[in-house]
Amino acid sequence: MNLASANTSATGPHIEVSIHSENQSWQPGSEQWIGILLEPEDEWHTYWQNPGDSGEAPTINWSSDAELQFGHIQWPIPKAIPVAHLVNYGYEGANLLMVPVQVPENLNQDNITIDASLSWLVCKEDCIPGWADLSLTLPVQQQSQPSTSKPLFDDQRQSLPQSQALEGKYEITEEHISIAFTAPVASNWTVFPIRSDVIQHNQIQQAIADGTQFTSVIPLSDYFVKSDDALQFLVSDGETGYYLTTQANSMVPATIETSETSSLWLLVVMAFVGGLILNIMPCVLPVLSFKALSLSEQTMSLSKKLGYLIGVLFSFNVFAVLIIALKESGNAVGWGFHMQEPAVIVALCFLFVYITLTLLDIGPTGAKFAGVGQSLIKGDSFISQFFTGVLAAIVASPCTAPFMAAALGVALLSDNISAFVIFNALAIGFALPMTLLIVSKTFRNRLPKPGPWMNTFKVFLAFPMLATVVWLVWVFLGQSNGSAQFVLMMALLLFALLLWIASVSRGWWQNVMQVSALGFVVFATYISASVTPNDNATDNTASFEQAYSPAALAELKQNNQVVLVNMTADWCITCKVNEQVAFADQQVQSVLQSSTVNYMVGDWTNKNTEILEFLQQYQRSGVPLYVIYAGDSYEQVLPQILTADIVIEAINQAKKEINHG
Amino acid sequence: MVKHSAILTLFFSFALSLSVQAGVKVDEAAPDFELVNEAGKTVKLSDYQGKYVVLEWTNHLCPYVKKHYESGNMPNLQSKYTDKDVVWLQVISSAEGKQGYVEAEEAVALNKERQAAPSHVLFDPEGDVGKLYGAKTTPHMYIINPEGELKYAGAIDSIKSADPADIEKATNYVDTGLTSLMAGGEVENKLTPPYGCSVKYKS
Repeated sequence: MNLASANTSATGPHIEVSIHSENQSWQPGSEQWIGILLEPEDEWHTYWQNPGDSGEAPTINWSSDAELQFGHIQWPIPKAIPVAHLVNYGYEGANLLMVPVQVPENLNQDNITIDASLSWLVCKEDCIPGWADLSLTLPVQQQSQPSTSKPLFDDQRQSLPQSQALEGKYEITEEHISIAFTAPVASNWTVFPIRSDVIQHNQIQQAIADGTQFTSVIPLSDYFVKSDDALQFLVSDGETGYYLTTQANSMVPATIETSETSSLWLLVVMAFVGGLILNIMPCVLPVLSFKALSLSEQTMSLSKKLGYLIGVLFSFNVFAVLIIALKESGNAVGWGFHMQEPAVIVALCFLFVYITLTLLDIGPTGAKFAGVGQSLIKGDSFISQFFTGVLAAIVASPCTAPFMAAALGVALLSDNISAFVIFNALAIGFALPMTLLIVSKTFRNRLPKPGPWMNTFKVFLAFPMLATVVWLVWVFLGQSNGSAQFVLMMALLLFALLLWIASVSRGWWQNVMQVSALGFVVFATYISASVTPNDNATDNTASFEQAYSPAALAELKQNNQVVLVNMTADWCITCKVNEQVAFADQQVQSVLQSSTVNYMVGDWTNKNTEILEFLQQYQRSGVPLYVIYAGDSYEQVLPQILTADIVIEAINQAKKEINHG
Repeated sequence: MVKHSAILTLFFSFALSLSVQAGVKVDEAAPDFELVNEAGKTVKLSDYQGKYVVLEWTNHLCPYVKKHYESGNMPNLQSKYTDKDVVWLQVISSAEGKQGYVEAEEAVALNKERQAAPSHVLFDPEGDVGKLYGAKTTPHMYIINPEGELKYAGAIDSIKSADPADIEKATNYVDTGLTSLMAGGEVENKLTPPYGCSVKYKS
């Protein structure tokens, strides 16, 4: 068993070992490859760097009479070898453990002798350890010549892992580890952990492939100690292999800083700057430029001067009140929530087309209904200034300036007073440039002098308006479908046509055209309220699930209903696995859709206090969490890794409880 | 919830119940068992309430077991702690016809020859107790405190090898664990991956 010979090869029970060099002579200053060939007998195997449940990796201690630098063993891709109830990782058949060697430049000797002190374990079901000292002497020459062992090295290189390293994430649940990564090609990957205490080697690896996106769920080793350390794996489909480094998936929802007094000021500044920037957004700029250029030189009373500012402040505060009221009533709203309403989008489309036509001088002037709008915003009366402000606020609403999203996001999450402060900072920033122009002669004098160029500029401004219409029509598609979008565009075209006819007509005919145009607006807005969403719409929430709310849950429990609560998050790997496996199951889907089961989903992708409180009730700090209720009297927490059977069985159990109760 | 466009492939069916994993957990009550000893008498774990108990899974033909017996490491540990009134139970879960399976007579002779000093040799050819404790390798060591709680499960020491020269360099987890427990302390690493030969179970 113990062989101490200075030979190039040795024989132990059930195995032969030998030392090889890729080249028969070595050149100073080169990188050379040397290797130990392990040749176990048929049905016997040797081990990979992580031997799995039992066994032991071979070790090689190198030494030499020259100052050589020996690298690490290049482990060939291993196989999972089941032995009785255990699984080992290793090699059945010959395997060459290759090591790179750096030969120094200043080598002052004719020959190099390399000694390898080797230990191994060779196993079938029983294992036999062995030791041997192998030695190889090679001449130093100015040219390296391939040795007869070179084909061995060439062959073995075919079964080494690829040099491309992969990155991924891992997530630890009660009894499992989920490993997620993007593979270079779609394949059926087996995960080999570099550490022995991560997974249960003898357990089935549940693999979920979605194109090259690969997730593997494996029972966690009893010896695993949870930490935030990166975990290394080798993934292989039996042909190729890649090293994979995974980082702990941070199981924490995205946090939006809540407004401390200190940061409130920062947010106010951001909102103010955001408001300023809004002025140059394509939807707002044309309206305001037009207004700025038509400002008359005559002096106005202060109230008239401030009309615009008041109009803007009024509109933004109406908006703030509306949002806060919705929030208080339990609706999840964000800035731009109105953009989720198709009717609002359609109405804005017509408004922007109308402004475009006006800028192109196609719109009817001085006529009755259009004239009302015109007179409201043209001229210098307080009312006209006020309505210019209101119009500016309305046209600004679809354009979210970069700084506004964050500030308003916080405004919506923080207390109502902060929300008002932030909204007003935004409004003041937005109103400031125009107010300065109206109030101050100095600013007004900086404007270019009026002249014929203004007409050209005005026509140019029609194009940003049209760009906004194009964008709105595209947004509308996301909420409806292709035919509804076509109807909207036809309605916009006919609307424009009718207004043009009206502008060149006289008398009653003009009125007919204008009323018809208005009719289009009302009709299109009305029907858009009932459009059916597109299948490809981004919102693909199944209609039978409802968003989690503590009040709704309490009510369902009180009404003696079966409720399944699913707490999930987009960043949670395990949640996605369960959704792709258990919840995607046809039978589970039909059970969840049945009227006797209420399916409630809490999305913890972003911070949410109500969901956090729910998790804490169950001593959890993260998702996934699945709880099933049968009325008020029965609840069951499901495991974090689900199968269709577990879900169905749990629901059936809950139904039984209801019937008994 | 499910992406319509995703091509979803489920490669494996999934079974949660396949596990031969240990039912035992450190810091929880060690499950009771009954086995026949070398004298043909039935030994129950619960007979030793009030004493420290060491469970040692063994297989005298396993190179890793040989490492610790031929070096005197295991016999010394057995003597050291049985002298301190610790109950040392050697458990053989090798099935009949498999490596390490011995009849009572041979077991006694082996221990005499190796100067081993366990309190009892227990025979588990059906593998029930081995599987109950999740014994994976020989050696696989367990320490149970006088209250009947499992305090340690895992390797004999910190260096995973069959080379007797490593014994001196390694930290012996059973020795340090018992020393610490008897001094009123806790075991530092309560659960370590065991190393050695696989237990040669019947199935």
